[in-house]
Amino acid sequence: MSDVFSNEAPDSAVRLAIERVKAEQSVSDLEGLELGTVIVNMGPQHPSTHGVLRLVVTLDGEVIRDVIPVIGYLHRCKEKLAERRTYFQYIPIPDRTEYVAGMNCEWGYVRTVEKLAGIPVTRRAEFIRVIMAELNRIASHLVAIGTFVADLAPLGTAMAFYTFRDRERILDLLEAASGARMMFNYFRFGGVRYDLPDGWVEKCREFLDYFPPKIVEYENLVNDNAIFLQRTLGKGVLTQEDVKEYAITGPNARASGVKHDLRRTRPYSVYPELDFEIPVGTHGDVYDRYQVRIAEMRESVKIVRQALDMLPKGPVQLGTLRPPYVITPPPGACYTAQENPRGEYGTYIVSDGSRYPYRLKYRDPCFVNLQVFPKLLKGVKIADAIAISGSMDLVLGGIDR
Amino acid sequence: MGIEIGAVKLTLDELGTRLQGEFGDDLVDLRVQEPDTLVARVDRHKLHAVAAKLKGLGEIAYDSCNFVAAVDYVTHLETVYHLYSYSTNTYIELHVEIDRNNAVCDTICDIYPAANWHEREAWDMMGVRFEGHPDLRRILLKDDWIGHPLRKDYVDLVENHPNV
Amino acid sequence: MARVMDHYPKLERFEHPNIVTTTADLVFNWARSRSIFPFTYGIACCAIEMLSSGFARFDIARFGWEVFRPTPRQCDLMIVAGTVNEKMAPVLKRLYDQMSEPKWVISMGACATSGGPFYDGYNVVNGVDKIVPVDVYIPGCPPRPEALFHGMLQLQKKIQKMSFVAPRIDEGDELALASLRGEGERAIAPAGQTDGRLPTNAAESQEVQ
Repeated sequence: MSDVFSNEAPDSAVRLAIERVKAEQSVSDLEGLELGTVIVNMGPQHPSTHGVLRLVVTLDGEVIRDVIPVIGYLHRCKEKLAERRTYFQYIPIPDRTEYVAGMNCEWGYVRTVEKLAGIPVTRRAEFIRVIMAELNRIASHLVAIGTFVADLAPLGTAMAFYTFRDRERILDLLEAASGARMMFNYFRFGGVRYDLPDGWVEKCREFLDYFPPKIVEYENLVNDNAIFLQRTLGKGVLTQEDVKEYAITGPNARASGVKHDLRRTRPYSVYPELDFEIPVGTHGDVYDRYQVRIAEMRESVKIVRQALDMLPKGPVQLGTLRPPYVITPPPGACYTAQENPRGEYGTYIVSDGSRYPYRLKYRDPCFVNLQVFPKLLKGVKIADAIAISGSMDLVLGGIDR
Repeated sequence: MGIEIGAVKLTLDELGTRLQGEFGDDLVDLRVQEPDTLVARVDRHKLHAVAAKLKGLGEIAYDSCNFVAAVDYVTHLETVYHLYSYSTNTYIELHVEIDRNNAVCDTICDIYPAANWHEREAWDMMGVRFEGHPDLRRILLKDDWIGHPLRKDYVDLVENHPNV
Repeated sequence: MARVMDHYPKLERFEHPNIVTTTADLVFNWARSRSIFPFTYGIACCAIEMLSSGFARFDIARFGWEVFRPTPRQCDLMIVAGTVNEKMAPVLKRLYDQMSEPKWVISMGACATSGGPFYDGYNVVNGVDKIVPVDVYIPGCPPRPEALFHGMLQLQKKIQKMSFVAPRIDEGDELALASLRGEGERAIAPAGQTDGRLPTNAAESQEVQ
C-alpha cells in the first residue's frame, strides 16, 4: 500500500509553480545561468500555518518569489450537507465553520433564516446574542494574538499561556449559558435556547472588571520588545487599494485605515443602540493588525457592559417553534452578513419552500482574505511570511468549509 | 487616498433610477431590496461590460466584489454576483442565468481581483466554466475528482474514494 | 493460532515470557507511557481543544506529555484531531509512515472516530481507522480536555500491556494483520466499497427523513 507514495508526481499546484519558474527563466536576462529557485512545500501539516493550509512557495534563497496557497484539506461538504438537513437540524454546523468564533457563525446562519421566514426575535434574546457574540469575539482575538506571538519566537508561547488563561474564563461563562465550551448550538430561530442562569450576569461583570488590566499585561509583555517591533513594524503592508480590490474585511482592513465595520455600516440587531468606537490603524502592517485586535477587545468589553446594563426582562425564545421543529420559509433568496472577528461573514440561502434549504453559500472572510497572499508575500523573506500569515488570522474551517 | 464609507448620500431609489439611466436595458428587473441592496438580472453576454462599467462609475463606483455564488436551479444554472460600493455603502446583486448543458460564463476577475477564487470554487463545486479566467483549477477538492458535487444530479463515484 | 514471528521473522522477540522479559517490560513500558511525544496533528476544531489542554488550566505537562513535536520523525503518538477527508488522507498516511516504532494513534473527536456530524459528506473519510490503525478513540464534539486526558490515561494502560513476548494472533484476523503493517480498514476492504456516502439527489435524501 505504501507504493502509493513511491513515485508521486507533482500535483497541480506544484506543476503550476514549476511552469511559472520556467516562464520566468525564459525571459530572464541571465545568459547561460539557471535561476536557482527552490520550490518548497509548507505542507498541510505545519506548526505555523494555523491549520491545514498548504503553501507552495518558490524561494530564491530566503526571499519568496511566488506563493500558491492550496486549500481544501478540511473541506467538509457543509454546503451540500445543508441540502440534506432541515433548517433546524443544520444549526450546529455553522459553528464548525470558524470554530474559534462559533457564536458569531451560528448567528449569521440563524439571522438569514429568520429574515427569509420572517421570524421576529425577542428583545432579551437580541441582547443576549450581542453579549455572547462579543464575548466570543474577545475569545477569538485572544487565540489569534496568542498563536500569532507564539509564531514569532520559539518561546513566544509564553504569551499564548496568558491569553488562553483568560480565554478559559470566557469559555466558563459561555459554557454556563449554553452547555458547551466550543460548539455551542445555542442560537434558535427567534431567540436563543436557554436563558442566562442565575448569577451569570454578576459573574460576567466580575470578568469584565478582571479583564482590562490583563490587556495591559499583554501590552507590557510584548509592545516594547525590540524583537517583536523589528519583526512586525513595516512588514506585510496592505494598502487601501488592496483592501478595496481584494474585498478584505475585518481587522485586517481596519488596520489599513478603512473604517469598514458591519456593525456600523450595515447595522443589525441592537448595535445601533450601543455606543462603541471602531479602532483603525494607519499603516496596514503586521503591527497595526495586532494593535487593532487589542483595541477591539477593549471595545468589546465596553459593548458587553452596556448590553448587560440594558438587558430587558422577557422571553428568550418565541414560543412558536415546537417539535418536530420544522420550518418552511417561503421561496426566495436572502443574504445577510455580519461582523465576525475575522471580517464579513455572510450566508446566502436560497429556499424553495420545502423544509430543506435549497442552496446555502457561505461568504467566509478568511477565504477572501487568503486571496491576497500571493501579492502580499511576494519579495518577502520566509520568516516574515510566517509573521504576516499569522497576523492575517486565518481559520481553515472557514476557508474550506 | 482614503476610502470614505458612505460619503455619497443617495437613497436606494435615487441610486436605482441613476443606474437604470446609465445602463438602460442591460440591467433587467432592477429593484430595491431593503435595507441596502439593489437586485438586477443581467444577460450572460453583457456581464463583462456591465461589470466594467459598474467599476468605472466614478463617485458611485461599485469597486469591490463581495462574493460570487453559483446556484443550480434544475432547469438552468445561475451565478449571483454581489458587488459593494464603499462610497455609497450599498450593494448590488446581479443574477446571471446560464445554460445547464453549456455552463460557460465570462470571468470578471480581471475587473475585480477578489472574484478569482470565488469563480474557481464555482467551477469546482458547480461546473461553471469561466472564460478568460487565468487559473481555473479545482480549489477545494482533489485535482482528479470526478464530478461537480453541488449539482443536483451529482453522482458520487467510487473512483473518488480510492483505497488510500 | 499463529505468532507474529511467523509473519515477521525478522522481529526479535522472545518465545515465552520469563523474568527477563517481565522486568524489561515493566521498565520500558513505564518509561514509554510516562513521556510520550505527541505529534501536533490538529486538523480542525478539536485542535483548539488539544491546544487548550496544553496550556495552563488543563495542564498536559503534569502527565509528562507536553513535548509536542511538529515533525513526525521525533514523535510516538499521533493525535488525529479533526475531520480527515479524501484530500488529507494520503498526507495522513504518509506522516504516520514517517513515525518510527513504537507508535500509537489516538483518534480524538467524533470526526476522526467515524466521520462525526459530516459522516455523509462526499469528501469525508468516515473515521481515521480506515487509514491507520487506531489505539484509543475519544468521542466528543469536541471532547473536553478532561476527556482527552482520560483517553491518554487509557493509552497509558494499553502501553503497559506491551511486551517483548511475541503476541498471538488468529490466522484469519485480517484487521490485526493490517494493523501490524500500519494500515487501516481500507487495506482489507474489497475494492469499490464506499461507506455511507451522500445520496445522489435531493429526492432520495428526502426519503431518508
